[in-house]
Amino acid sequence: MLDALAAQLLLLRKRAATWILLCFWMLVTVVFAYVLPYFAYKGDIRFRARTGGVLLSVMLPHNLVSSLLGGFPAFGGIFVLILAVLAMGSEYTWGTLTPAFTQKASRLKVFFSKVLALAIAIVPFVVMVYLLGYIASMLIALKEGQSTQPPDLWLLVRALAFSWFILAVWASFGVMISVLSKGTSLAIGLGIIYGLVLEGVISAFSRQITLLGYLSKIFLRTNSYSLLSPLGVTFTGEGPGGFSGSTVSATQAAIVLAIEIVVFLAVAAAIVRRRDVTGAS
Amino acid sequence: MNGDINDMKQPMDNFIVETKNLTKRYRPDILAVNGLAMRIRRGEVYGFVGPNGAGKTTTLRMLLGLVRPSAGECTVLGEKPGTPAALARMGTLVETPAFYPYLSGRDNLRVLARLSDTPYSRIDPALEEVELLKRAGHKFKSYSLGMKQRLGMAAALLKDPELLILDEPTNGLDPAGMAEMRRLIRSLGRGERTVMLSSHLMGELEQICDRVGVVKNGSLIAEGSLDDLRHGAQLRLKAEPEARAREVLEKIEGVAGAEPVNGYLVIDASPARAAEINRILVEAGVAVSELGPVKLSLENVFLNLTGEEA
Repeated sequence: MLDALAAQLLLLRKRAATWILLCFWMLVTVVFAYVLPYFAYKGDIRFRARTGGVLLSVMLPHNLVSSLLGGFPAFGGIFVLILAVLAMGSEYTWGTLTPAFTQKASRLKVFFSKVLALAIAIVPFVVMVYLLGYIASMLIALKEGQSTQPPDLWLLVRALAFSWFILAVWASFGVMISVLSKGTSLAIGLGIIYGLVLEGVISAFSRQITLLGYLSKIFLRTNSYSLLSPLGVTFTGEGPGGFSGSTVSATQAAIVLAIEIVVFLAVAAAIVRRRDVTGAS
Repeated sequence: MNGDINDMKQPMDNFIVETKNLTKRYRPDILAVNGLAMRIRRGEVYGFVGPNGAGKTTTLRMLLGLVRPSAGECTVLGEKPGTPAALARMGTLVETPAFYPYLSGRDNLRVLARLSDTPYSRIDPALEEVELLKRAGHKFKSYSLGMKQRLGMAAALLKDPELLILDEPTNGLDPAGMAEMRRLIRSLGRGERTVMLSSHLMGELEQICDRVGVVKNGSLIAEGSLDDLRHGAQLRLKAEPEARAREVLEKIEGVAGAEPVNGYLVIDASPARAAEINRILVEAGVAVSELGPVKLSLENVFLNLTGEEA
């Protein structure tokens, strides 16, 4: 398994798309969590006088977790979904399942080594964002002469773990839809529509329509945001990373998300194991 | 010709590939392989020929475990196709070589080496064997079709396999490259290694293969050594006077044709009857200076068997 994992890590490491997605995700996070709020804080004196203090406080290092967490169920999920789709779906597009499945490793070994490699690959999608966020918050604190007190370590550890877990669910979802669609284009399109449009629309109506309310309780974003509630983070419906849908308890959210990972991977594994490999699609 | 007596005498473990009634139906209306029965002996170079859509690639994919048969049985190296035990001893190149375009040739082989538990030390010799060592560090997407094909061959050789399954390995190669590939395949087929080679190029197969199987509409319609296949049921002879010879030949039961072709008379008759026909002609006062079986080219054999137009 370690050899197969090393092969899959090599594939991810050498692929430019992996690094582009990572850099773009880091950029988006820092821009939305620090750069734009800081310019808003600095640019409008009346705004600064009214609520600027609160805004500045959110951008300081001790509030690192609450500044960054909101981006994971929304943008982070989509970035990782694309990463997973590219990793798995490209095997169909390029026809590389043929050589992969005719070496020695079984199909399931190849598949789960790829899943494991993705699980490892999303670690920097968590760690690097927090690191960059910490640097940005420190710069702001120093610039504004504010406290540079670091975030609570236990809170940070839990935030890192929960962030990884949320991204893992989205990666599993990406793996499944790329296996189902045998490629990348349709899977990415469907994933983005689901993550950024469908969930949002259905969640918006979930309080008015009971059935949609039940349905939204199994959604990735609903459960991802609900999972983060014990970390003392609240999400408003405004702006990027905001969430206005109904929520569930953190325990329920963790169970639902864990079940979803299992289901997504089980469906994909069953298809990979059974389906004929007939060349590039 | 299909499953001759000599084949039956071979011990079962001498057949490195064996299929019985192998069938693949993709949809109710698409029967890709239809009850294929084929046996490949250890150490031989076996040509697998057939027109487009005959079921060659589907058969190869079933031998590799990539496609599941709808019915029938199949063993490869004594194992079920697609099992790690079988795959570990096989090298393959099926259809167009498929590799990761953003990786170099060497990195692509590294990935495959990892998946097959093959030491990295095998990579450069394999690249050298196909004369790709100098471009091994370049990205696969920058390779010409011929170079991609050669990388596919290097990948197939990586495990130093007992069985090589090659599907159109000369695709995209220039004449020099094709000659080099033929030399390579011939050298690979020496000794204990078995090579199964699918190709449209009859001349290529004629030069390389020990035995050939012809597939049409998903079924094996002929199988045998090249000599077996090329000796058709025709005789050609030189006889004087030709008109008298034709007259006599037309009266012999079971003999038809007697058409003049390039200074010879060609008749439809089993080569086993050559002595009898010679005697009848001589007794009828015809001088026979040459008499022997018509040796068909593999291409003609193929066209005759498959009913394809030349």
